[in-house]
Amino acid sequence: MWLFLIKYIASTYKETLLLIRDRAGLSMLFIMPTALVLIMTMLQDSTFKVLEEKKLSVLVLNQDADTFGINIVDGLKQSKFFHVIDSLKGKVLAESALREQVAAGNFQIGIMIRPNASQTIRENIKYRMLQQLPEEQSGIFGSDPVSPSQPASIDVFFDPVTKNSFKQAIISALQEYSSMVEAKVLFGVYSRVFEDMLDIKLKKQGVFSRLVNINEQYAATDQHVAIPNSVQHNVPAWAVFAMFFVVIPLAGNLIKERESGVSLRLRTMPGSDLAIIMGKVTAYFMVIILQALLMLVIGIYLLPLLGLPQLDPGHHYLALFVLTATIALAATGYGILVGTMAGTLEQSSIFGSISVVILAAIGGVWVPVFMMSDVMQVVTKLSPLNWSLNGYYDIFLRNAGLMDILPNLTALFLFFVTCVSVSWWVNTHKNQPV
Amino acid sequence: MTNKKDFIEIRGLIKRYPQAEVNAVDHLDLSIAQGEIFGLLGPNGAGKTTTLSILCGLISATAGSVFIDGLSMKSHPDQVKQFIGVVPQEIALFDKLTAIENLLYFGQMYGLTGKSLKDIVENYLLRFGLTDRKNHRIGNFSGGMKRRINLIAGILHQPKILFLDEPTVGIDVHSRNVILEFLREINQQGTTILYTSHHMNEAENLCSRIAVIDYGKLMAVGIPAVLIRSHAGCENLEDLFLQLTGRKLRD
Repeated sequence: MWLFLIKYIASTYKETLLLIRDRAGLSMLFIMPTALVLIMTMLQDSTFKVLEEKKLSVLVLNQDADTFGINIVDGLKQSKFFHVIDSLKGKVLAESALREQVAAGNFQIGIMIRPNASQTIRENIKYRMLQQLPEEQSGIFGSDPVSPSQPASIDVFFDPVTKNSFKQAIISALQEYSSMVEAKVLFGVYSRVFEDMLDIKLKKQGVFSRLVNINEQYAATDQHVAIPNSVQHNVPAWAVFAMFFVVIPLAGNLIKERESGVSLRLRTMPGSDLAIIMGKVTAYFMVIILQALLMLVIGIYLLPLLGLPQLDPGHHYLALFVLTATIALAATGYGILVGTMAGTLEQSSIFGSISVVILAAIGGVWVPVFMMSDVMQVVTKLSPLNWSLNGYYDIFLRNAGLMDILPNLTALFLFFVTCVSVSWWVNTHKNQPV
Repeated sequence: MTNKKDFIEIRGLIKRYPQAEVNAVDHLDLSIAQGEIFGLLGPNGAGKTTTLSILCGLISATAGSVFIDGLSMKSHPDQVKQFIGVVPQEIALFDKLTAIENLLYFGQMYGLTGKSLKDIVENYLLRFGLTDRKNHRIGNFSGGMKRRINLIAGILHQPKILFLDEPTVGIDVHSRNVILEFLREINQQGTTILYTSHHMNEAENLCSRIAVIDYGKLMAVGIPAVLIRSHAGCENLEDLFLQLTGRKLRD
């Protein structure tokens, strides 16, 4: 036990010295995650803001100078998402110009409201109403012939590169405004019928105010509610990715020791190899804890200075620390395993980096898990990066405590124990002495 | 069991690597007495390093037995490792650590600590003329200086048996002399030495007994001068070596 302790402390100190002296490698371990968090957060934050803050310019050609056309254009103008452009260089748009501008990519979306759209809607409503009235009331709309016609239409032109989310946004907006206009026209027609049949004049005030309010809020089990934003998602995601990237220098360190003969020399010395492995784990564990601390500092203090939202780390600090420590163990354990199994430095670098990228991809670092296919949503549960990321999301967004993240902690710890046990077994039993 | 005289006893040792067509060590029997400097000689691929690796507990044998001071490496690995020292052919040191940091680390791996370890390290650095370079990183050392530190790292715990694999390969004459003088010195103090080398002249001068092996088999064993005399046409160890192992080039 005494020898184990001496070997463990000496190995930890030696690994720390080697890490400190490898300034290029060490700076990569801190610069890379910093750059990842900053760049990815800013990129995704700007994407989030495109619809909210940077209004999307929409070319509009309104050929229906009536209720429908006027209301649709007014609706678009009043929306916080769209900037309506109905003339170019002082000239009123023509259909051909609208098509050309969108086709050339100068605008992502063009909208054309066809002539007589309002009249078409009215005619259709009258026709449908006549179908419902008794025959003796068929002259209620006078002697004008009322016949069914095609629905009024709006043509929407998209630039082929337009994002699907933008398309959905404009279509939803047009559908909403159309429904409101249809309701107004319907009300007008019914008012006239009421007036003619019952001699009652209906008042319009208040009729078109909303009857249903949609209250948007984030579900939480107590008072603390963190607002999901690009920072809350990106800081933990890329921090976890970077924490697992410690696999590459750690595995490389093991291979270099093997190639230089140091590990053979160490195996001629008394005591367990486990003390030496744990020394490495401890040194890299400290690096990962510092990485995580740096990510938190960036999220809380630096990102707001860059105009981004501030990271809200929740208020379960113990859970946050225990989760980070367990992730650090899992990442170092994986590094030890890769370093033990790989034959050369090239193998460990290639396998280490690609495997972390794959585990990150299936773990939900790039694409949220809920957007994955059913099969991938099962596969994602195999990734330790997914267990890590979900733990952070639980703490940051769902206000989870230590007991809530226990399944994640257990999975990560078992992963660490498995990796180190397999590595130790391979080292010990590969060459049994006589 | 071995008697007191036979400090290292190798019986019927066989090693065949996976996928190999021939044995790397083939029915090797050897006894090395306490206080000997024993030279294990042979051309490249003869099985010297494999034999040494088995003795150090680094690799397993396919068959046969090895006892060191009466103990088997398999049943008493930690006890055996406490009194053997190993100096590998490679410079098995950390380039980014200084000489003293390297030596303190390897000393601690034997359970040595504190002032006693520091004193041992300082004494050896002084003995090998490296005191003024002790705080320099190994990566900046010359080949000879690295070899000297490589040797010190294997003897910090004052082993009863020292295994050396080509300890003087690729170094200058001065460093070689310092190392060989030191080996004689610790041998006189009671350390048994088993060493491999390609330098026949060096082995002839240093070793009390030698064994020549080839293709994993023992070709000859005995006192160098006696072996040379007993083989007609041999004037020195190199002649004997060539006579026993042939003149064909080896990989």
